[in-house]
Amino acid sequence: MIACILLPRFELTVAAGGPEALAGRALAIAGERRSAGSGLLGETSGGAEAFGVRSGMPLSEALARCPTLELVSADPMAVASAWERTLRTLEQIGAGVEPERPGLACFALDGLRGIHGGSDELVLAAARRALDRPARIAAAPTRFCALAGALATRPRRTLIVRGSAREYLAALPITLLRSRERTAPLVGTLERLGIATLGELASLPRTAVADRFGAAGIEGHRLACGEDDPPRPRTVEEPLVEHFELAEAAGGPALERALGVLIDRLLARPERRGRTLRAATLGARLLDGGSWRTSVTFREALAAPRRMALVLAPRLALLPSPADMLMLTVERFGPAGGEQSALFEQADQQRRARLREAVSQMRIAAGADAALRICRLEPDSRVPERHMMLAPFES
Amino acid sequence: MTGPRRLFLPRAARVRATSGGTPLAVDGQSVAYVRESWLVEDRWWTEQPLRRRYWELVSESGRDFVVFHDLASGRWLRQR
Repeated sequence: MIACILLPRFELTVAAGGPEALAGRALAIAGERRSAGSGLLGETSGGAEAFGVRSGMPLSEALARCPTLELVSADPMAVASAWERTLRTLEQIGAGVEPERPGLACFALDGLRGIHGGSDELVLAAARRALDRPARIAAAPTRFCALAGALATRPRRTLIVRGSAREYLAALPITLLRSRERTAPLVGTLERLGIATLGELASLPRTAVADRFGAAGIEGHRLACGEDDPPRPRTVEEPLVEHFELAEAAGGPALERALGVLIDRLLARPERRGRTLRAATLGARLLDGGSWRTSVTFREALAAPRRMALVLAPRLALLPSPADMLMLTVERFGPAGGEQSALFEQADQQRRARLREAVSQMRIAAGADAALRICRLEPDSRVPERHMMLAPFES
Repeated sequence: MTGPRRLFLPRAARVRATSGGTPLAVDGQSVAYVRESWLVEDRWWTEQPLRRRYWELVSESGRDFVVFHDLASGRWLRQR
């Protein structure tokens, strides 16, 4: 059995400052701008939905439907932090959690029954107690079926689908396929073909569906037939985060130099233990409220500050407005010393390797601040304390 | 790892000045010569504006100082 935990409007709740902020108000997250004066809405509150405002709707249309609509700045940094706390809460009851998106996670109940009293109900009750907010919780034979159950159940209620997933899903609308990125594009076409329920899709021959829709069609058909992959629990990494408070709204070269310092500080952290970085998240707190973040997976695991800066610096151009704080987080580590050196090492590389080793030993003996370099941050500033700062030495 | 450390951070200084604001002594050392003075006004568009009257001074012993008078708080600080 698979459990699904659904926290509706998670991003909006966090960005608005708590569930009580949503009560009786027409709120929506101001989404990314598509063009000048136009943008798509993010999550919407119940009050906004009562006016017909939906997530993904153009802002102009939403305001026409609901003139009193209040927009909230997206705060992906706060959302990621709150979601991480929620996942860790679930992991503390022993669950191997697969996060699908903020507000939606699933885990297998097998193996937890023995810990929590022997039944599915008791495991789900433990999960509900662990969460500090109302959640829709359901358990079913597959992940997709559990999500369908969670969407159908009321908050604070728990639904357990005991029978066959295919039978449970048969009467449910085809729009449920929108919950998966791969199958979402099928919905419109299936509806135009007159297929309204998952049962109708399941009754079609899989070969015919594959012929018409390809791999996405097979995936959709599998889900409708009650087949799904088991949850893949995430690998829990120790969080490694570095912040950099910008003296004021920096931009351009100053922001890139701040990023360079951030990378050096992250690489100098003893918790890294010589490991390379596979994926990182670059975030920023915005001056006009809210935050911004972007995840980057490096093409190969690396620990070279210059190469990391080459990948991360262009992302700074995507900042939607000036920032007063930059943040760099390690999402996934690679193997220790994963970078391949040249077959015939050059003298310069040998010197650098010896220098790295010396710095590493010095840090072990004298602490993380043992080897520093002077970094020019805003050399043209009229305020002297903004000119230079000390950053960890990384060769 | 300690936090980011900026260089040339201002530190408090004991400054005796004329009524017009020209420093006469810094941390007990008499000023022999005023090399330069300039005004910095920055971040005026924020809630924490920065207004500083800088002085580059030479003491009687030949040392070079840079001090500034924080026009918002009235404090004297030394930068170099």
